Amino acid sequence: MRAVSALRTPLVTLVLALMVSIPAYSSTALNVSIVIFDPGVPEDRSSHRDLQIFPRIREIEARILPFVLRDTLAETGEWGAVRVIPEPDVSAELLVTGEIGRSDGEMLELKIRAVDASGVVWLDKAFAGAVNDGQYDAIAADLRLAAAQLDDKKLDSIREYSMLRYANRLAPTVFGDYLETQADGTVKVIRLPAKSDPNLDRTRRMRETEYVITDTVDAKFQELHADIASIYELWRKYRRKNLEYQASNAEHAQVTKSAAPKGSFEDLKNQYDNYKWDRVTAQEQDRLAVAFSNEAGPKIEAIETRIAELTAWVDQRYALWHRLMAELFDVETTLQEAEAIEKELIDRIETLPRGEIE
Amino acid sequence: MRSSILTVLVLSLLVAACSQQPVINEEMTHFEGAMPADFSGSWQRNYLRDDSVNAVLNDAYNRLIRRTQDPAFAGRPVQTGPSSKDVEALIALADLAELITRPDDLTISQNEYEVRVDRKDDYSMLCSFYDGVEKGTESPYGVETCGWNGKQLVSHLKLPDGLQITHRFDISTDFRQLRVQTTLSSSTSKVPFTIKRFYTKFRRPAPRFECIETLSMKRVCSTGELRM
Repeated sequence: MRAVSALRTPLVTLVLALMVSIPAYSSTALNVSIVIFDPGVPEDRSSHRDLQIFPRIREIEARILPFVLRDTLAETGEWGAVRVIPEPDVSAELLVTGEIGRSDGEMLELKIRAVDASGVVWLDKAFAGAVNDGQYDAIAADLRLAAAQLDDKKLDSIREYSMLRYANRLAPTVFGDYLETQADGTVKVIRLPAKSDPNLDRTRRMRETEYVITDTVDAKFQELHADIASIYELWRKYRRKNLEYQASNAEHAQVTKSAAPKGSFEDLKNQYDNYKWDRVTAQEQDRLAVAFSNEAGPKIEAIETRIAELTAWVDQRYALWHRLMAELFDVETTLQEAEAIEKELIDRIETLPRGEIE
Repeated sequence: MRSSILTVLVLSLLVAACSQQPVINEEMTHFEGAMPADFSGSWQRNYLRDDSVNAVLNDAYNRLIRRTQDPAFAGRPVQTGPSSKDVEALIALADLAELITRPDDLTISQNEYEVRVDRKDDYSMLCSFYDGVEKGTESPYGVETCGWNGKQLVSHLKLPDGLQITHRFDISTDFRQLRVQTTLSSSTSKVPFTIKRFYTKFRRPAPRFECIETLSMKRVCSTGELRM
């Protein structure tokens, strides 16, 4: 009883937190969580120049390209909530992760992997082509195809997996033995909680609260996307221009090659100038990369600070929810045990001869 | 007679071996710890100490004469002097050397893995060392490598049609003087052309405005602290 009263204050906080309004999404389709992409920057710094990789810009792209995918999926109307999240969440109904293989303003390659809550891989392939060549539509089409193979029963089961994995993460002491991860990465349900299990009901409500935060994080990412999309488009434009300059340098080198006698000043100067303009073009691109970073960097830092605050809030709630769930479980188990003892005593009393009771 | 032919042959082989020595050898492309010398700063040309192009050209011409008369180089029969083509090739190198080494000032920035030499009207020369190992620049237009010869920074550019340019950077012990020795050689010239330029360190006046480059607004300047 003392334990229950000690829980009252945090429980009030929890109940208040659960009263936040929840946005409505389609209940029939799966929710999709897209993790911000892996920038795909090799650890070997010395290779960046050869591969034309600007690490800071890749980091920015990793935050804004998932939004194009998010919008593409949302526009199809075939999915529940489509969110961009900062970290992978294994309890997501459908988790999409991606890595930027190439992005130079002209070509774009995305390596995309989609895994549902039961651990089944829906998609694991690279989508490459010219920028705006329909990579996102192709990803959406592949996901649609994978979803079409599943009937309502299977989709419901994915939702159950999702809820159990979430519950397991939130309160491992309560839900720890419901699931088992197989060697192939898929998850197997060992047993199911009762539909009327109060812990499951609490978990469901907590998850809905968490979605409010996730949607706020998603909105922040969306804000970031809107803020820097125009600068990013400008960067892509300049990069394309730079590629044009490179092609023009190559053409110029070819044209001027045979014009001057070998060993003459014109010939030597041509050789030098060809190299010089190639370097100037590359260095101009470096300068533009710095300019992009100068402009987009502060916006990203501000939004990342806000996202960090939100995720820190969620982490704190997790710790609290985790503790409360464990304590509630203890209280309920103790109560159940007490009830069982009480019942056993009553049974025993009832079976005793009347004279012994008196 | 036979011994003189043998001598010529041995000398020729020696010369050939020497001429194939790489400007930057394996040992020069890596170092441990910090970079062996710090060249960072703004450097202003010291014309008083500079080599005169004409004097250097005269020296090179004399070397060319000796070389064309040297049986080890000229083969047999020994030429009486350089051909007009030889002289033209040397003058072409000298003209290009003068053009390349024209900048009045250099700005050198250096961090733990890169030395960058900004020159007016030219590309910025870049020497990168990742974890102390040199990382060159390679393109269809040329290969640029760097190395350290003791405290001397050496940059070597090899262009596809045979032109080679080497810059050697040395700093004085008081860090106030910089010497850049530039050597040009080509497959058409029998002798290389080397010219020395000297620079004195100077402090650039602090800019009145703080500026940063942006993509959408180009250069943005402010008199105070600049925040986007």
